[in-house]
Amino acid sequence: MATVVRMPSVLAGAAEAAIARWLVGVGDAVTVGAPVAEIETEKALVEYAAEESGIVGRLVLAEGEAGEVGDPILVLVSTAETDADIDKALGKAPTAGTQASRGAASGSERSFGRSGEPEAAAVTTEGGGPGGLVATPQESRIFASPLVRKVAAEQGIDLAAVEGTGPNGRIVRRDLERLAATPPRSPAPAPDRAAAGTAQPGVSVADGAALADGALVAGTGRESPAGGRLIPHTPMRRAIARRLSESKATVPHFYMATDCVVDELLALRGRVNATVAGKTVAGKVSVNDFVVMAAAGAFADVPEANVTWSDEGLIAYGNVDISIAVATDGGLVTPVLRDVGAKRLSQVAREARDLAQRARDRRLAQREIEGGVLSVSNLGMYGTLEFSAIINPPQSAVLAVGAARPQPVAADGAVSVATVMRCTLSVDHRAIDGALAARWLAAFTARMQDPLGAIA
Amino acid sequence: MPRARRLQPAAEWTEIASTAADWKAADPALLATMLGQLHLIRAFEETVLELAGEGLVHGPAHSSIGQEGGAVGSIAGLRSADGVNGSHRGHHQFLAKALTHVTKGRLSPAELVTPEVAEVLRRTLAEILGLAQGYCAGRGGSMHLQWLEAGALGTNAIVGGGVPMAAGNAWAQKHAGRLLHRGDAPPAPPDMDLTVTYFGDGAVNIGSVLETMNLAAAWELPLAFFIENNGYAVSTTVGEATGEPRLSARGTGFGIPSYQVDGMDPLAVHLVMEAAARRMRSGEGPVVIEALVYRFFHQNGPFPGSAFGYRTREEEAAWRARDPLDRVAAEMSRLGLIGEEGIKSVRDQAREAMREAAAALVEPDPAAGGTGGPHGASPRGGTAHKPGARRIRPGLWPDPAFVDVGIRGDAAELAGARTAEEATFGGEASRGKFIDAVWRVMDRRMTADERIVVLGEDVHKLNGGTNGATKGLAGKFPGRVLGTPISENAFAGLGGGLALDGRFRPVVEFMYPDFLWVAADQVFNQIGKARHMFGGKNPVPLVLRTKVALGSGYGSQHLMDPAGIFATSPGWRVMAPSTPFDYIGMMNAALALDDPVLVIEHVDLYPSEGDIPAGDLDYLIPFGTAAVRRPGRDVTVLAYLSMVEQARIAIERTGIDAELIDLRFLDRASLDWETVGASIRKTNAVLIVEQGSLGTSYGGWLADEVQRRFFDWLDQPVQRVTGGEASPSISRVLERAAIARADEVAAGLERVRAGFGAGYQGGGSR
Ligand SMILES: Cc1ncc(C[n+]2csc(CCOP(=O)(O)OP(=O)(O)O)c2C)c(N)n1
Repeated sequence: MATVVRMPSVLAGAAEAAIARWLVGVGDAVTVGAPVAEIETEKALVEYAAEESGIVGRLVLAEGEAGEVGDPILVLVSTAETDADIDKALGKAPTAGTQASRGAASGSERSFGRSGEPEAAAVTTEGGGPGGLVATPQESRIFASPLVRKVAAEQGIDLAAVEGTGPNGRIVRRDLERLAATPPRSPAPAPDRAAAGTAQPGVSVADGAALADGALVAGTGRESPAGGRLIPHTPMRRAIARRLSESKATVPHFYMATDCVVDELLALRGRVNATVAGKTVAGKVSVNDFVVMAAAGAFADVPEANVTWSDEGLIAYGNVDISIAVATDGGLVTPVLRDVGAKRLSQVAREARDLAQRARDRRLAQREIEGGVLSVSNLGMYGTLEFSAIINPPQSAVLAVGAARPQPVAADGAVSVATVMRCTLSVDHRAIDGALAARWLAAFTARMQDPLGAIA
Repeated sequence: MPRARRLQPAAEWTEIASTAADWKAADPALLATMLGQLHLIRAFEETVLELAGEGLVHGPAHSSIGQEGGAVGSIAGLRSADGVNGSHRGHHQFLAKALTHVTKGRLSPAELVTPEVAEVLRRTLAEILGLAQGYCAGRGGSMHLQWLEAGALGTNAIVGGGVPMAAGNAWAQKHAGRLLHRGDAPPAPPDMDLTVTYFGDGAVNIGSVLETMNLAAAWELPLAFFIENNGYAVSTTVGEATGEPRLSARGTGFGIPSYQVDGMDPLAVHLVMEAAARRMRSGEGPVVIEALVYRFFHQNGPFPGSAFGYRTREEEAAWRARDPLDRVAAEMSRLGLIGEEGIKSVRDQAREAMREAAAALVEPDPAAGGTGGPHGASPRGGTAHKPGARRIRPGLWPDPAFVDVGIRGDAAELAGARTAEEATFGGEASRGKFIDAVWRVMDRRMTADERIVVLGEDVHKLNGGTNGATKGLAGKFPGRVLGTPISENAFAGLGGGLALDGRFRPVVEFMYPDFLWVAADQVFNQIGKARHMFGGKNPVPLVLRTKVALGSGYGSQHLMDPAGIFATSPGWRVMAPSTPFDYIGMMNAALALDDPVLVIEHVDLYPSEGDIPAGDLDYLIPFGTAAVRRPGRDVTVLAYLSMVEQARIAIERTGIDAELIDLRFLDRASLDWETVGASIRKTNAVLIVEQGSLGTSYGGWLADEVQRRFFDWLDQPVQRVTGGEASPSISRVLERAAIARADEVAAGLERVRAGFGAGYQGGGSR
């Protein structure tokens, strides 16, 4: 009647732990409550006491060796038992390998017991009392509420890394929210995040309760094979990676650029912001607001471009919905401005500011980041001259806006200096052909250069 | 030695037989019509048995062969506006009524089968075969034949079950004149339409029949209780089943004039019916007619009863020798009204008409005769392949998508009604008690709508019944507030019959909800199912009021919450108002709706106060809308009636930010899924709150529906608060322990809180 003792969940949330020191050796008799090992996680070193009595038949992990919660660490036997019995007990019990094959979750596994305290090792009594064989497979399963499963699937959250604090260790909505509210344990590599030239899906749980970086794997950075430091993915990062890889791989992009002379636009913006309304924070308009207005105007001029691709057919829209890319701590978020064509500049400015702020606060609702035909991504404030961006599906285009810089321009045979802004359009060729895109871009350029239309 | 004096029943009890002089005096046209009907029905029944023998009739075919004389004799003289209903063995009565209707009571032996007659035969057969062109779109089949236009109110598969409904029809007939009567002109001498309810000797012993006899006698309804005594209930003889086998004696116990007549003699039956009709039409009240008849076959199917050993072939032969078809033919030929040829012609015409009716509905089975093939699959399965086998013409079946159509109406009758909500009501209002809203809105509706009739135990006295719910109504609306005998089955069914008739709007009161079990047949088998079962078209507008009395100390047999039972019984709408304002608007909706509606009240709410609009008791609460009584983010609490307030108290106490939804409209079809769904998508947790015991509780089906509709939005199991398993006892302590109030809701909220996990920040206990 060999008994497999498993890696206990020493610390809630820790998916793995290491044997710091064995306090028993093979052949030792162990009674219930006797300390058998010191177990270490990144946070704690605890003495682990036996839950069952027996003779130590095998130490499965060596000192210093780590195992995932639920992995066998030690086998207790009765006097009559042989190595074969031990193998049988280990072989029959679910191993870490079979657990890891579950779904798309990462390798880190944990069992969910009552949370918080160091808790009993999961004990399988081979051929023994009721419950033993049943309990273990259940514990190795991740219990999560239907809502949590849905959100996790949508946002690529690895539930193995989330601590469940609901009944029976169930992961519940607030566990995700709590993670979202906790700052990441390893410093986020900020620079490579903000510059992604396109959108990624926003992250939100029901009704705007947002999640992001907190859903980090709650482990330390591990050594990567290349010798660098491995920074575990956040759900948001996974989502960005998945969506954009998919976009780049499946959407045939083509690109075209335009130079917009924006002196008049800048002057007009100055005048608007000098008005009484414009002097308030709420009344200010940005260059990007003009860009969004011009883009909307271009869709009015070239409505055939207001389409997106679907397998069933092109979807043509009546309203012009435009996303704006907002850099947040967690990554890029692209909230959608609805029906821009029907709105005044001041309204667009107000809404854009509100969406951006709430994006940074992670308070956007799912519906606020869904849909749209085009995203505007503006890196001009970083001085970027020009760049091209990846389309944010299911949209059909993204407009990458560079910095406005004084440049020599030739007009009517004379060279003068003008403020020029380079905008690069990435287009989904399935939905929009080159000539159509060119017409749209020309319309956009004209609108940029004759900005009065935006406030008329 | 005490002195004994022989007492006599007050009502006459008479045996009637025809004489040679009666036959001579009879209108030859009547005799011809009866002969024609008898033959049409006989040929029809033979065809049904033939098709049943071929496996083409799904379910039982209760043949009336041998019993046609009672139906034809009693119906041939009726008006179209007279009603009949019957039992499982009802083809003959249905056909007699339908044929009388389409031929205006006159059949010609020379030209028996007019197109109208052919259509009646075909559509009745189609109904029995379960086909779309049947009178009830194939839903009713052999045992549920209804054609209201012809005065065929619907036959019934519950023995005795149709009898209370017939009383409702008779009540409407008796009082319809009042709706027409205007001004000071004295009413004409009564000439009421009447109703005949047919049932067998077996049914004489069931409560529905006896309760209804009592009720009809008390209220002097124009209703004939027509007992077809064929000697057997399946195989049980009359003698075995009762100590008084002269079944018409039942009537005298209720003060109803009663007749016994030979049902194999259609003219005798006709003459009895003439006398009975005179009494009924003049408003003197009901009659009992017992016709002695015989079914030549077993309970159902094409074999004689003797084949099953409960009666002898000699007995059958003796009754067959008295075949009503032969009797009429013989009397007519004796009077020189018809010859051998003519009689044969009548028989041939009837059989030919049935051949045609059948041919329109069935066809040779292509799979018959061993040719096989995949396209000839017959619904009767394995025996289909005999040579000459027939099958239902495949195009005639109802569309399977029709299966649930017409369980209830579409509530279109409420479209355009003026609605109001307490939260946004701008008009003048004064504080008032819930119980006052109950009688005041009924007062207002009865003033505005003279169709409304209130019935129940003691509703007419005690200044508004036992709770004051009908205060002032009896005095103000004479004849429209009816104190009933204690016979829930009969008066609920009477309400159902009134509703089906449509000229009145019955409001039935059950003093306590548990009495629904006493009336269960009428409430669920009849009222709830009638619309759907008879084809989905004919509405059953009835309001049933009752009060939940949990907490009142009335004990195990008075303290149920009926919401769960009604919500899981198709056909019923269920409304449960929690404020006086809602009560008014919901009662108005219930009375405007063409469906049976249960309006549940609660004794705890009666003394509670709320706003009652001054001078406006006509608005409706927007139909099918729940009310969010308290917005919140953490959990959706679904409650109704007094539990809305109990839940509010519990929410405040626990400090959990719950969204409290007063469901108001509780049944499957009226529930406000939009509001509930929006809330669940926000809170991701649900607590269903009710007060009564677990077993018959309301929340079970709701929890099921919630988890299937919103599974992906749930962050924890749907939680519930109910009372205990047992029905509450009378002891104050035990009763309290058996029901749910704010404490139990608070405990439920704590269970929900445990489900929030460690991340929950809000709401420490206060
Ligand atoms: C309430 C109820 N109980 C039992 C039955 C089953 N059942 C159907 S017909 C029947 C016999 C009815 O006998 P009777 O009323 O004499 O009518 P008959 O069949 O002789 O016409 C029985 C027991 C039923 N349909 N309804």
